[in-house]
Amino acid sequence: MRWFRFALLILAVTVIQKSLLARWSTKPDLLVVLLVFYAIHYSTSDAIISSFTIGFAADLVGSPMPMGPQMISFGLFGTLLAYLHRVIAIKRMPFQALAIFVSSLLTGVLSHLLAHITGEPVAANIYAVVFVTSLYSSIVGPFLFLPLAWWMRIKTSRFGRRY
Amino acid sequence: MLFTWFMLTGFILLFAPQNLTSKFQLAFVHVFRWPLSIGGDLALTAQTQQPLTGSVSRSETQYLNYIANLEKTLAEERQKFEKLSGLYNTYVWEGTDFALADVITANVDGSRSELTIACRKSAGLAEGQFVLGDECIIGRISDVFPQISKAEVVLVTDPTSMIPIEVEGLKNIMKGKGNNTAKIEMVKNEVKVGENVFALKKPGFLDAPMIVGKVSECNRNQKNPSLWDITVVPACDIEQLEDIAVIIMNPQK
Repeated sequence: MRWFRFALLILAVTVIQKSLLARWSTKPDLLVVLLVFYAIHYSTSDAIISSFTIGFAADLVGSPMPMGPQMISFGLFGTLLAYLHRVIAIKRMPFQALAIFVSSLLTGVLSHLLAHITGEPVAANIYAVVFVTSLYSSIVGPFLFLPLAWWMRIKTSRFGRRY
Repeated sequence: MLFTWFMLTGFILLFAPQNLTSKFQLAFVHVFRWPLSIGGDLALTAQTQQPLTGSVSRSETQYLNYIANLEKTLAEERQKFEKLSGLYNTYVWEGTDFALADVITANVDGSRSELTIACRKSAGLAEGQFVLGDECIIGRISDVFPQISKAEVVLVTDPTSMIPIEVEGLKNIMKGKGNNTAKIEMVKNEVKVGENVFALKKPGFLDAPMIVGKVSECNRNQKNPSLWDITVVPACDIEQLEDIAVIIMNPQK
């Protein structure tokens, strides 16, 4: 794992998510796309670290939601996805899209449930919002994997399971 | 082991007092305010239809852009001056101060609605103060960080927002519902679509009723069909706001 490149990428994506995309009511969650990318392209321990880090970044820009829920949900589902990838290789674009869709759906629901536990109100249409965001992310995500692989210096021909 | 430690950190953050953890969020916005505001401006530009101009040479384009930039700066300064002088000249605002602020980040997604603002003067800012955008109430201050001249605004459409309002003479509470809408529930009479909704006076925070939104839907309450549920949309396009004004009643001189 190239950690410096990882840090720069997370920072850039977090800023884009908070500024460029924040003003749109329906938008893809680029951080979930990153979560899936690292979970299926790196070793399990790297995937765990990156999942929690991406979750922390999502919490940083998740205001007015409190800190913590996204770190927990991203970390949990990123780790699960990394373990799942040891059994089932997620190589083809439709499977990547499906992985992004399911991860986004689960992280979104769990984040809002955890925030609700701490007393945060939940919007009435939250499930619709999470569903639309997941759908957008799953459409955009697989196309971003190629530039992400280039940035992280991963050779696309060597995609596969790593332990 | 790694997973356990990270999970533990996550839970510590989750259950730590929110006024403490929100400082992390605001520190991020403060440190990256420049790229964040550029990104926000780009989004605004993308959402605004630009008129096409005729084809001109590159140097001419540069010159025209330079003039346009100067004119824009002048117009903005004039607008700020007029906005302030206009507000101060309204008799109900005598003795009231207005703190102009730039919008750094706007979070208007379907679930939560919040703005982070950079105040040019943070003196007198306090939690609960009303915030104006395009001459209408858009939300209230939820957190102030005077050390870095930043504040957070919870919009009227946020699920945590509850504001006493009046619509067609009926007083009620307007609750934010997310997705850029708010709701007034259990209203006795049917209200026309397009009717103005006003925020009621609140001593120490608002001395005169001000428009907060417009009725977009009026449907019968599902539990009690003799009552009505009103859906309200903000009176201005909050997504397009670049600057706002905070109402400071009885400012300390």
